[in-house]
Amino acid sequence: MAAPVARVSLKERGMNRSIKIITAVAAAAAVSWAVTACGDGNNGGGTSANGQATKTLTANDTFDLKTADPARSFEFTGGTVVHQLYQTVLGFKGNSVKDLIPQLCSYTISKDNKTVTLTLDGTHHFSDGSPVTVDDIVFSFKRLQGIKGNPSFMLDGVDVEKVDDKTVKLVSKTPNPQLPYILPNTSLGIVNSKQVKAHGGTEGTDDKAEQWLDGHSEGSGPYELESYNAQSQVVFKANPHYDGPKPTYNRVVLQNVDASTQKVNVQAGTAQLAYSLGPDQVKDLDKSKASVLTDESTETIFMWFNMDPQYGKEVSNPTFIQGIRHAIDYSKLLDLAGTGAIQPGGMVPVSFLGGLKSDPANSYDLAKAKQLISQSGYSGQTISVLYSEDVSAGSAQMGDIVQSVQAQLKAVGVNLKLNPQPSSTSLDSFRSGKMQAGIAYWGADYPDPADYLVFTPDQSLAMRAQWTTARGKKDAKLAAAASAANGDAARSAAYIAMQKQMNIDGPFIPLFQPASITVAATSLKDVVPNPVLGISFGDIH
Amino acid sequence: MSTLTQPPETGASDFDALLARRRFRWPRIWRQPLMIIGSVVIALWLLVAIFAPLLEPQNPLAQGSARLTAPSAAHWFGTDTLGRDVLSRIIAGSRVSLPLAIVLVILSMVLGSILGALAGYLGRVVDEVIMRITDLVFAFPTIILAMVVAAALGPGLQNAVLALLLVSWPQYARVMRSMVIGARNNEYVVAGRLLGAGVATSLIRDVLPNVIAPILVLATLDFGNAILLFSGLSFLGLGTVPPTPEWGSMVSDGVKQFSSWWIATFSGMAIFSIVVAFNFLGDSLRDVLDPRSQRTVGGRSI
Repeated sequence: MAAPVARVSLKERGMNRSIKIITAVAAAAAVSWAVTACGDGNNGGGTSANGQATKTLTANDTFDLKTADPARSFEFTGGTVVHQLYQTVLGFKGNSVKDLIPQLCSYTISKDNKTVTLTLDGTHHFSDGSPVTVDDIVFSFKRLQGIKGNPSFMLDGVDVEKVDDKTVKLVSKTPNPQLPYILPNTSLGIVNSKQVKAHGGTEGTDDKAEQWLDGHSEGSGPYELESYNAQSQVVFKANPHYDGPKPTYNRVVLQNVDASTQKVNVQAGTAQLAYSLGPDQVKDLDKSKASVLTDESTETIFMWFNMDPQYGKEVSNPTFIQGIRHAIDYSKLLDLAGTGAIQPGGMVPVSFLGGLKSDPANSYDLAKAKQLISQSGYSGQTISVLYSEDVSAGSAQMGDIVQSVQAQLKAVGVNLKLNPQPSSTSLDSFRSGKMQAGIAYWGADYPDPADYLVFTPDQSLAMRAQWTTARGKKDAKLAAAASAANGDAARSAAYIAMQKQMNIDGPFIPLFQPASITVAATSLKDVVPNPVLGISFGDIH
Repeated sequence: MSTLTQPPETGASDFDALLARRRFRWPRIWRQPLMIIGSVVIALWLLVAIFAPLLEPQNPLAQGSARLTAPSAAHWFGTDTLGRDVLSRIIAGSRVSLPLAIVLVILSMVLGSILGALAGYLGRVVDEVIMRITDLVFAFPTIILAMVVAAALGPGLQNAVLALLLVSWPQYARVMRSMVIGARNNEYVVAGRLLGAGVATSLIRDVLPNVIAPILVLATLDFGNAILLFSGLSFLGLGTVPPTPEWGSMVSDGVKQFSSWWIATFSGMAIFSIVVAFNFLGDSLRDVLDPRSQRTVGGRSI
């Protein structure tokens, strides 16, 4: 578990990413691809320095981009950019978030889950031709921790030690079985320490390398930066020293374009990838030109109730919340969220280790709902529901989801009053722990159920709903057991048991996981969106 | 044939008929096409607002229909993201926008006129203080200031009216002040004061009847503006709270669902029609009530 301070930043990240990921449902539409290997020259066609013909890939996104410095990057577009430029020590296979593969290093984890040992394979080179060394890995990790940026919490409580020229040890004070799943995160990209140090990089808050990294990439990924503009476009060119198959597209242009223009671009063939189209917007795409790739996202949309009678009033009663669990017609919400959205059994996304596929506690059953709600003593009082009006999930605006829930609960006599706020203020309201109820969202920072321990009694997110250990004794016990469990099978079972208990007496109702949609031109092959890493342009053929 | 069989009319009755026709002749103002178009559109919208529950083909809040269906016989204006009938919501929306605009314009007219009249009549410190405050409000772009106020108070009808009231009274204050300054030194006003009338009596009895016309014109012109401002606030999520149907927030929904053109188009046209109608009406009224400006601009403005 990370320190409380880090949790704040973690949350912020969850939110920022959600806004982005969810709005930016990516889809890829491909239309007649003007520039091919024999390049007609109208789209940067020509010959590159290494004598290869230039093949340009154009991707459209609605930018959420602050920096290309991996140790500071914390936004959706930022992650996409950094992922192409910097390799991480470990990676995920394809679109899986469970199967780890070696990238710069292979790894082992100790029995007590406290020590991760990374062994460098030594075949990788930065874009300036120098080899990736253990010192670069140590510097990159220490810099991430030291500059105290948004993603710094990922390595909280982890000691980075160089053992020899091939080996790095990551030692955690407490068992940290999720660490290998954190390591592929794009923010943990390995930078060229000599270059970064030469341009003001340090391992502390006095680091000044961000500006340099916003114009020059110092990584070993398939691409290097050709130009960078956080407002309009980022251009990538192939890294000649990349240790791996040469990317088919040796030039990639990532443009900042609003969603409606993305649709036009992808149909007209001026863009081959579009990230920001939702399920309702891809319905009428020309299937011969563009294909829609649907993938599970790592977002969970949930409803919460304040467990403190002082703030929650009649909703701070587990029986009432159980009634609501049965009063919600989840299929209608999935319909709203669009193709590919699913209803998880618990807060943990179903594709993660420990994800609960479904739970009868969260199912639509009007008779049961009515009985439980009347049993709880609720008699028509108005319940104020907080939500961020400027956020969307799948194809649905948060406001649409809340209005749908409002109409559904009306059928069992529960009156909701909506309290829409812009996400900047709704987050503060939620954090205050004084709101009655709400609908919110959580994006995973890393694909491990440990990221969801914040929802257990006394932890940061649970305290926003005033869920203390006293109000959830069994849950707190199961959460402690889950965080201490060892080995994949035992951890998975422990997290599932914890979520089942949370569905009985907890304040959170998981509503749905929206899909992540990418539109890709049919001319593109092997476009594999990974829920955590996004799309690797280098793998596209 | 029939005309031939009618008894011949006398000269006197001819003259009477002519007189009668003269008497029933519409006043000049009603003969302007813009005035007629504007009034008809406004009258239609008022009828729609009054009889909304009877006209709505469906409950504007019911989410029963298929989502995002294009305009059809069952749903003339299509359905929105939640499967609600867009036509019903536009009809229901008139019950929010119209009364709100009327309330807003009346409130800002009253508030602005009182402050402006006091500033103009009393002069000196009162004038300086009030007019500097109006300058202060004028210094901010209207919609931005309204947004700040609405964001600080939270979304909701009441807060939106309050926010818009705060930004729309100064124009009345300015006009009123200048009119009162022009009128206060007239002999009949001075005579009234000499006869012992107080400030209030003098303002209401002697000054007001002579300055009210331009204020009324301004108010008519301002209706459209009020509807636009309020729709703007709702578009930004600071007006009505969902699920209340409101035109501005419907346009906002439509922009987010850009593949479903019908959501934003029809609600946008509702706003457009009523704003233009009020502007037609206001312009025509100004031409009639304020002949001086008509002469300046060289005839009827369009």
